[in-house]
Amino acid sequence: MRNVRLAPIYIALILLAAISVVPFIWMLSTSFKHGHDVYTKVPSLLPLDRKTGEWSPTLENYEYVFDLRGLGTAFLNSVWVCLILIPAKLLIDALAAYAFARIPFPGRDKLFVLMLGGMMVPTITLLVPRVFVTQELGLFDSQWGLIVPNIASVLDIFLLRQFFLSLPGDLEEAARIDGAGRIQIFWRIIVPLSKPVLSVVTITSFIFHWNDLVWPLVVLNDPEKYTLPLALQQLATAEAGRSYYIMAGAAVAVVPVIAVLLVFQRRILQGIAFSGLKS
Amino acid sequence: MTNPVSADRPAATSDRPGRRPRPGFGRRDSIVGWLLIAPALVYFVAFLLYPAVAALYYSFTDWNLRSSPSWVGLANYTDLLFDDVKFPHFWKSVQVSLLYTVVAVPLTLVAALGQALLINAIRRGSNLFRLLLFLPVVTAEAAVGAIWRWLYDPQYGLINIILGWFGVPPQNWLNNPDLVIPALAFISAWQCGISMIIYLAGLKGIPLSLREAAIIDGAGPVQRFRKVVMPMLRPTTFYLLVTGVIAALQVFGLVYVIFSAANKSVTGGPEQAGLTYVLHLYLFAFRYDAMGAACAMSFILLVFIMIITALQFKFVKQEAA
Repeated sequence: MRNVRLAPIYIALILLAAISVVPFIWMLSTSFKHGHDVYTKVPSLLPLDRKTGEWSPTLENYEYVFDLRGLGTAFLNSVWVCLILIPAKLLIDALAAYAFARIPFPGRDKLFVLMLGGMMVPTITLLVPRVFVTQELGLFDSQWGLIVPNIASVLDIFLLRQFFLSLPGDLEEAARIDGAGRIQIFWRIIVPLSKPVLSVVTITSFIFHWNDLVWPLVVLNDPEKYTLPLALQQLATAEAGRSYYIMAGAAVAVVPVIAVLLVFQRRILQGIAFSGLKS
Repeated sequence: MTNPVSADRPAATSDRPGRRPRPGFGRRDSIVGWLLIAPALVYFVAFLLYPAVAALYYSFTDWNLRSSPSWVGLANYTDLLFDDVKFPHFWKSVQVSLLYTVVAVPLTLVAALGQALLINAIRRGSNLFRLLLFLPVVTAEAAVGAIWRWLYDPQYGLINIILGWFGVPPQNWLNNPDLVIPALAFISAWQCGISMIIYLAGLKGIPLSLREAAIIDGAGPVQRFRKVVMPMLRPTTFYLLVTGVIAALQVFGLVYVIFSAANKSVTGGPEQAGLTYVLHLYLFAFRYDAMGAACAMSFILLVFIMIITALQFKFVKQEAA
């Protein structure tokens, strides 16, 4: 009885899930097709030969975009930027959030409100002067220009602070009586207790910066320094009409993030619900 | 939500001699506190506070990145608003962004709510569906643009082929000025996963007793949805509406990818049908080297977003009263 009632719901969900997933399958299958097998009247979700209908996948599109369109370099650039940026940002945000949550000093709460206010300004409004500051610091057209201007995040500080405030104070109190300093307390007590929220912030930062197109677009000129989204955008322009190359490039950008989502799905989805409702 | 500036436990220092001083909040704390905040504070001043003030100043100047800015007063603003020789597409871009917002935001919210209601109704497999429907959200704009250009391809694109099965003639989605906004809005609805997750959290927050009471009172599914679920979800909807409008007014990366891939030089699509406000702003700043005008545009956007947000809050207050 219940199953009969639920059947239409499952059918609707399967349809919606197909709409959401088929574009990725289409991307992957196109990326593994030979160029001459791509443009067919009857679409094939598998890399099949257009004449014989036999299974004939290829890696040549990937080889082409990696070697000749700079996606290999761009991949390494993206990895490098994230490897420096994410840990540095996490440390800076967590230390600031800890101070805002736990260390009272004059002017602290006013400063916090000011920072939250600054978060309300749309990033687009700040885009042009940020490029100017980056240029003045001598970071224009360099990967440090991607790292330094993103080295902290007010939103992440806010989320971490809210979490730190929710931690019970007893353990810290006890540690302080035993003579532990603030920094020791941070490393020995706060960090171990905050692993869930720290990992949410790490993962969402990674996804955001791995995917970011706009900031690299305005800061980088030299194709050798491009990150993946920018290299993919250039590829899509230069090879417009050769969708098998473009889809191979898109797959290189998309697959690592989807892998992260699959591994950390629970954390990410909980984190979204949490941060969405809080802000 | 807890008060963002809730106070800590009150400071208590006691320096009575002969007793070990209670761990207190003194000078040391001030120093440590400022030290821990210092890196974030430097970032905040250099990349948020200063740029915000600078953007306002530059909006009153004639400036490209190479020369020094010269003061022109309100000229950028008046030229943008009234001089259609100097800025022929300003109002067009306003219109495109407004149209996109009006079409994409409701479509996205309806899609998100529909998905959330469906997932909320099932037990088995709900995590899997939630995950699959969330996939488009984590995808880079550059990849989304590339994938959808291929899906919308007039001749071999999957969309036209599938529509063809139902007898719909092939459309040139991204080259027909009338279809550009619907095509972009559909991509936005495809990426509704974050709103879906937040709606789902909202649905979980509706007390079971309320639904049960409605069932006992003989309310059917439609009535329950209208009289119980929708009112309980109003805060969630409002939050998603405000953030959705703010985000839609700033849409840029996706249209940049879609329309630069089409024409090699970015123009904003057929008859500027995809020239969103921020794409226009970007072109002024980084292609036409008119930083002052771009800053003026960014402040017009800021003021507009503030007005829209205030109106939405006022509207909801009136509804509640």
